[in-house]
Amino acid sequence: MFETARFESERRLPAAAVISVALSAFAAMVLLIAPGIIDEIDVDELLAGYPPALVEAMGLEHLGTIEGFLALELYQFVWILGLGAYVAYSGASTIAGDVADGRMDTLLAAPVSRRRLLLEKYLALLTPVVVVNVVVFAVVAAGTAVIGEPVALADLAAVHALSLPYFMVCGAAGMVASVAAPRQLIAEGVAAGAVVGTFLLQSLTIGTSAEWVGDLAPMRYYDPLTVLTASEYDLAGAGILLAATGALLLVAVRVFEERDVR
Amino acid sequence: MPAIETDDLTKYYGDVRGVEDLSFSVREGEVFGFLGPNGAGKTTAIRTLMGFQSPTEGTATVLGADIRDAEALRAARARVGFLPSEPGLDESVTGRRLIRYHGALRGDVRSEELLEVFDPPLDRKVREYSRGNKQMLAIVIAFMHDPDLVFMDEPTSGLDPLKQEELLEFIRAEQRRGKTFFFSSHILSEVRKVCDRVGIIRDGHLVELEDVESLLDRSGKLVRVRVGADVDTEDLAIDGAHDVAVSGDGASESDDAGGPAGDGQDATTVSFTYTGAYEPLLRHLLEFDLLDLTIEEAPLEDIFMRFYGEDPAERVGRVENGEVGAASESGDPGDEDQRTERADV
Repeated sequence: MFETARFESERRLPAAAVISVALSAFAAMVLLIAPGIIDEIDVDELLAGYPPALVEAMGLEHLGTIEGFLALELYQFVWILGLGAYVAYSGASTIAGDVADGRMDTLLAAPVSRRRLLLEKYLALLTPVVVVNVVVFAVVAAGTAVIGEPVALADLAAVHALSLPYFMVCGAAGMVASVAAPRQLIAEGVAAGAVVGTFLLQSLTIGTSAEWVGDLAPMRYYDPLTVLTASEYDLAGAGILLAATGALLLVAVRVFEERDVR
Repeated sequence: MPAIETDDLTKYYGDVRGVEDLSFSVREGEVFGFLGPNGAGKTTAIRTLMGFQSPTEGTATVLGADIRDAEALRAARARVGFLPSEPGLDESVTGRRLIRYHGALRGDVRSEELLEVFDPPLDRKVREYSRGNKQMLAIVIAFMHDPDLVFMDEPTSGLDPLKQEELLEFIRAEQRRGKTFFFSSHILSEVRKVCDRVGIIRDGHLVELEDVESLLDRSGKLVRVRVGADVDTEDLAIDGAHDVAVSGDGASESDDAGGPAGDGQDATTVSFTYTGAYEPLLRHLLEFDLLDLTIEEAPLEDIFMRFYGEDPAERVGRVENGEVGAASESGDPGDEDQRTERADV
């Protein structure tokens, strides 16, 4: 039981470590420059030159607080876009990569169902997600204390906890690409592209009549800025993301069971 | 119950034919050779039988499981081994870790014993392995759960000659333990060493299905005889001799150049293909001044070429009508281990 999840998780640990270190370094840098910017720059004056719609859409008025600064500099972009695209890309590499390298033949020769293989590989995808969350949470919590700008730990924990359903849906979308795309490279491109594409789509349609289009974007259901600055947790959004994850995995399993492995 | 039974098994990739109307059965406990040139459809057939892809038409059973029933086939695979020609192995881990993983997936009852014969460097990452080491690791994975039926797709590729021989010996030993093999190959010498029956596949069709022995009997012996006189082909012709060719130093009248056995006298070298018993042949040959005699099995390559050379559609018709393929009893004793018998008189 769960041999594949275990095996694949082990394989992902080095990548998890590298990403943890990189994001921790980035978070530390953000924290180091934060006090200077918050204290010395008059945010209202700075933003006066920006279109009000943009300021409101991006929540830039929160730049003057440590919570807002962290959310805008770390979580809104690097976290959601960078890590999200990485998870989708990794998911896309799983099945498609095994098929491309012939490893899938050796796996499917074992008495294991395709459904089980896919779901366990998906589970293993969450290993780096969890590791990176734990590490970056610890670094940010410690870092904010060190620079004398503490944030509410509950909010910080919620930002990380609520990011899990978001990454799960990214990974599940990657799995669909992995089984549906004709080649590994296409699967990876489509999956990572989908995360970036929906991110742009929902950013650009905010405040327009086409704002509903952004409802298709997973980022709409996870908002670190609101969590950190207003302590509002979008649990319904998390539920929607989890439901979407289940649906996508169902599709991925179905497609994988029906297709030829060549 | 046959280990494998295919019923008009057909696989197309879009418009491209993989295999078409394959119907044969593999008995339990036999080594079934599946012969054909590259691109004939050998791998397609194996991949369809393993359930990696679904048949376009027709079906097959593997250890009783219908290959269109994913769950039944999954359960049956607990008793099936698979050895591809190019093993797909995870290269980022050590051989030992990979064996542990695959052992967990399919059960490991004999990897230690196998590793004594097939011994890749287990503590190195698979990415550092040579082709032969990868193949040995794949052999261990294919056999570690002691399967009843093993599919092998060109299994000796990548192995050095010594390991090839060890693999063939291993297959023979495993067959004695009751295992069934589906052995795909384009190398005839290895097929004749281990296989009981062969199916020959060409352009996706089965063109021949026969005992290896009958195939060899039917193809005859290659006889090369050197006689110390000027002979005509007619003199040497006896029943069962075909393709008689006169060559060498004695083909024309006087020839003093001489071969090693010529000693200045007239000598003729004649070669022909012979099907039949040894006795009449030897009696007939002893009527001549026999200087040298070589009798060897006709190279399987020749037989092979014959099947590849003729129109496959015609052949398929005959195989399906049972005109060929009914295994005839071997009439030739004693050629099992003696490919070449040499008589210097």
